[in-house]
Amino acid sequence: MSSYVPTIGIEVHVEIKSNSKLFSSSANTYGMATNTAVNVIDLGYPGTLPTVNKEIIRQGIRTAHILNCDITRKMHFDRKNYFYPDNPKNYQITQNRTPIGRNGYVEIEVDGVRKKIEIEELHIEEDTCKSAHRGNVSLLDFNRAGVPLIEIVTKPCIKNGKEAMAYLTKLKEILFYANISDCKMEEGSMRCEPNISISKDDNFGTKVEVKNVSSIHNVGLAIDYEINRQEEMLNNKETIKEETRRFDEKKGKTILMRVKETGNDYRYFIEPDIPYLELTDEFINDSLKSLPLLPDELREKYSKLGLSSLQIEKLINNRSLNDYFLGLLEFKTNYVMAVNLLLSDISSYLNKHNKVITDTNLSYEKLVSIIDNLESGDLSNKNVKDLIDSLMETDKSLDELKKEFKIENITDDSFIKDIITKVIENNSESVNDYKSGHDRALKYLMGQVMKEAKGSVNPKKASDMLREALNK
Amino acid sequence: MSKYLDLDIRKIHELLVEKKITPLDLVDEALERIEDAKELNAFITINDKVREEASTLGEVDPNNLFFGIPIAIKDNIVTKGLRTTCASHILDNFIPIYDATVVEKIKDKKMLIIGKTNMDEFAMGSTSETSYFGAPLNPLDKTKVTGGSSGGSAAAVAGKLVPLALGSDTGGSIRNPSNYTGIVGLKPTYGRVSRYGLVAYGSSLDQIGPMTRTVYENASLLNILVGEDEKDLTSVNKTKEDFTRLIGEDIKGLRIALPKYFISDIVTKEVKDRVMEVVSYLKEQGALIDIIDMSYLDTAVTIYQVITMAEASSNLARFDGVRYGYRTEDANSVDIMYAKTRSEGFGNEVKKRIMIGSYILSGENAKTYYDKALMIRDDITKEFNRVFKDYDLIIGPVATRVAPLLDTFNDDPHKAFMDDVLVIPVNMAGLPAMSIPIGTNSKGLPIGLHIIGKAFDEAMIYKLASNIEEVF
Repeated sequence: MSSYVPTIGIEVHVEIKSNSKLFSSSANTYGMATNTAVNVIDLGYPGTLPTVNKEIIRQGIRTAHILNCDITRKMHFDRKNYFYPDNPKNYQITQNRTPIGRNGYVEIEVDGVRKKIEIEELHIEEDTCKSAHRGNVSLLDFNRAGVPLIEIVTKPCIKNGKEAMAYLTKLKEILFYANISDCKMEEGSMRCEPNISISKDDNFGTKVEVKNVSSIHNVGLAIDYEINRQEEMLNNKETIKEETRRFDEKKGKTILMRVKETGNDYRYFIEPDIPYLELTDEFINDSLKSLPLLPDELREKYSKLGLSSLQIEKLINNRSLNDYFLGLLEFKTNYVMAVNLLLSDISSYLNKHNKVITDTNLSYEKLVSIIDNLESGDLSNKNVKDLIDSLMETDKSLDELKKEFKIENITDDSFIKDIITKVIENNSESVNDYKSGHDRALKYLMGQVMKEAKGSVNPKKASDMLREALNK
Repeated sequence: MSKYLDLDIRKIHELLVEKKITPLDLVDEALERIEDAKELNAFITINDKVREEASTLGEVDPNNLFFGIPIAIKDNIVTKGLRTTCASHILDNFIPIYDATVVEKIKDKKMLIIGKTNMDEFAMGSTSETSYFGAPLNPLDKTKVTGGSSGGSAAAVAGKLVPLALGSDTGGSIRNPSNYTGIVGLKPTYGRVSRYGLVAYGSSLDQIGPMTRTVYENASLLNILVGEDEKDLTSVNKTKEDFTRLIGEDIKGLRIALPKYFISDIVTKEVKDRVMEVVSYLKEQGALIDIIDMSYLDTAVTIYQVITMAEASSNLARFDGVRYGYRTEDANSVDIMYAKTRSEGFGNEVKKRIMIGSYILSGENAKTYYDKALMIRDDITKEFNRVFKDYDLIIGPVATRVAPLLDTFNDDPHKAFMDDVLVIPVNMAGLPAMSIPIGTNSKGLPIGLHIIGKAFDEAMIYKLASNIEEVF
């Protein structure tokens, strides 16, 4: 049996971060009381006209840029006409003929192989109301009406669920880091709609669209399920219909929502209430100025600082820690140690107290002095663990805290010497190992010294003295 | 009955400043006249708070010519708290919660809004007979139409019920009724006056303008209406000017074009003769008048139909019974609710134009009809620009004949469009144009002259108009 080749394209909608809506001055926020972020424009009142929020055009320019698209210099908006209760004007203002970005790509890596997922176009449009159905009654919340969206459409170049997941993960990471969107699928600020067809030859098969998928992982599952379902159908000589399905998480299946009626006729035409927009070089460059470093740029930068790839990924996964760390780069310190601290003791503190680092009193100066003290041996890792709550919660300096907690590593030579002598006596086997060239034995012996001293000696000094004693 | 309202508004203003009369006197006089002339059916709604507003207007401002002057507003311009129906059943219970920008300006000038005037339903028509509330009657001959769509405003001014009114002009709707009722009506340049709060018919053509008894009052009222509005992106930023400034100036050397098409066989003899009389007079005054060829003028009506119906089909989609306006009594699904609400709420002319407009935008038709119409519209604009290289103004008749009898067009809707054959080309090019009375026919029915200016050169139109007003 010859195998089918799947062809997958994905449409992603993300809500754009902005102070106000796309065509009105109402607030663009999530989670406000129903119908409070609403004005006559959002309600589609007779006589109202749209205005264009420039901040959102800038977000569109940034998105087009970071997704490697050509930016459309002269563009307009179009009306997409269809009747639906959640559509206040019964037309949606979108971009049909002149999307702000075209011909871009996102680079992904799956199983060590790199691939460019091509982006056909991206455009700006307004969101609809949110509707809720209670028995016989439908309720509308206009807070979402007019919220700015960017729709990103790939070419049909994705081959399986794994690639789709890699693309969406990367896309989400980029848009999140560029401050375009918070990309929360659970709150609907990122919505993914894959379409899947399979075929044995160069002609595309019949396309099936899947909607209402709640997570990137589920997009992968939905696609793989759909590929299998369509293969089985074709093998059973059944005909695939052009239809929209939804993904049922519990059953792990796609379920039919509706069969597509032939030719949706949206009667597009140029929005006459909004003149053409001409994007000048100046406006574009100005918009791109405020773009922060994006994940791939961060990866490169961090790897030059000597961070391990594990550290890098952990850091990038935690936006607030990452942003904090970027600020630390203004200071001269041991960045590897800093990241270790951020990802260990500091992260545990933050997780335990459900805080982000900017909620704490950990100034950069304080962090730098902790690292200095660790390096010089004036502070041990155990000390940090003991002090962490105070370091994070008070504005006292490290020196003040050391005094308060009576942390002074003993550097008295005779005290350390006594401990070393005792450890060498009790561990003759390890001492022999060391002398016959096993470096690991030194670590073990050092551990014993610190254990004996209950962590209260300057580790650097103790280590120097131990080596000296062994080499005698 | 007092006759203050028949005075020039400069005289009324004087009396107000001298405290010989009060705004309430003017309002009471207007209300009395409206009541006496009820059969004219000029108003759809009377502002029942207007006496109270007149009483609480405060101290008369000697620098504000319009203080306390009553004005009528066409019923497609929204007025906060005052019913705005667009002469349609679908909005006959609609009380707006905001003011149109022009209404704000009128209120800022302390003018008194007497009421909302009758019109063709959603401004679709040129006789005002498509009104849900029945046609207004021509004050000069009650068996004749007022023209339309701003027929109620024309009847109110021509019937001496109010000195001033606002109309709107998409394809002649100010000039056509001004012509049939013998008043001064100006359609300003597209973008001159904010459309915010004007219930849209053909968005790319709609423009609000003044309808008055005299040229001076017209220009003075325009002074108040104009200005860029951040709520209307199609409004244009122009330096402030006084539109009365050229009134009364010598027209010697003024270069005027009279296109052959405007005096071709489509125009009745009595109208043509009257226009040619004006031409001779103007020549005597030293104006240089050439009869010229102009292309594309005969295409304008067709282009107008394609563009306005397409835009209207989308603009009127919001009247669906969901958020405001009429909603059908019983419907057991949303789709049935839409269908019943709209078929019961809209009149025949509106439904016809929505259907044709939807067809025009449907699928490939959008390219065949709408896109092509936009291209020809550009050609019409270029043709006007070509003529305006050599001429200051273009003149002609406003209509092919005097006001027809009521019910003339019941059987031939296309003929009604042809009534606007001479005024529509101006809307296509977005230019300013006026209808100014130049006398009557043998039966006392008014004939008007059409004066077309360069974009944003309304002042030049007023210059010529004031000259004609003195004599005709």
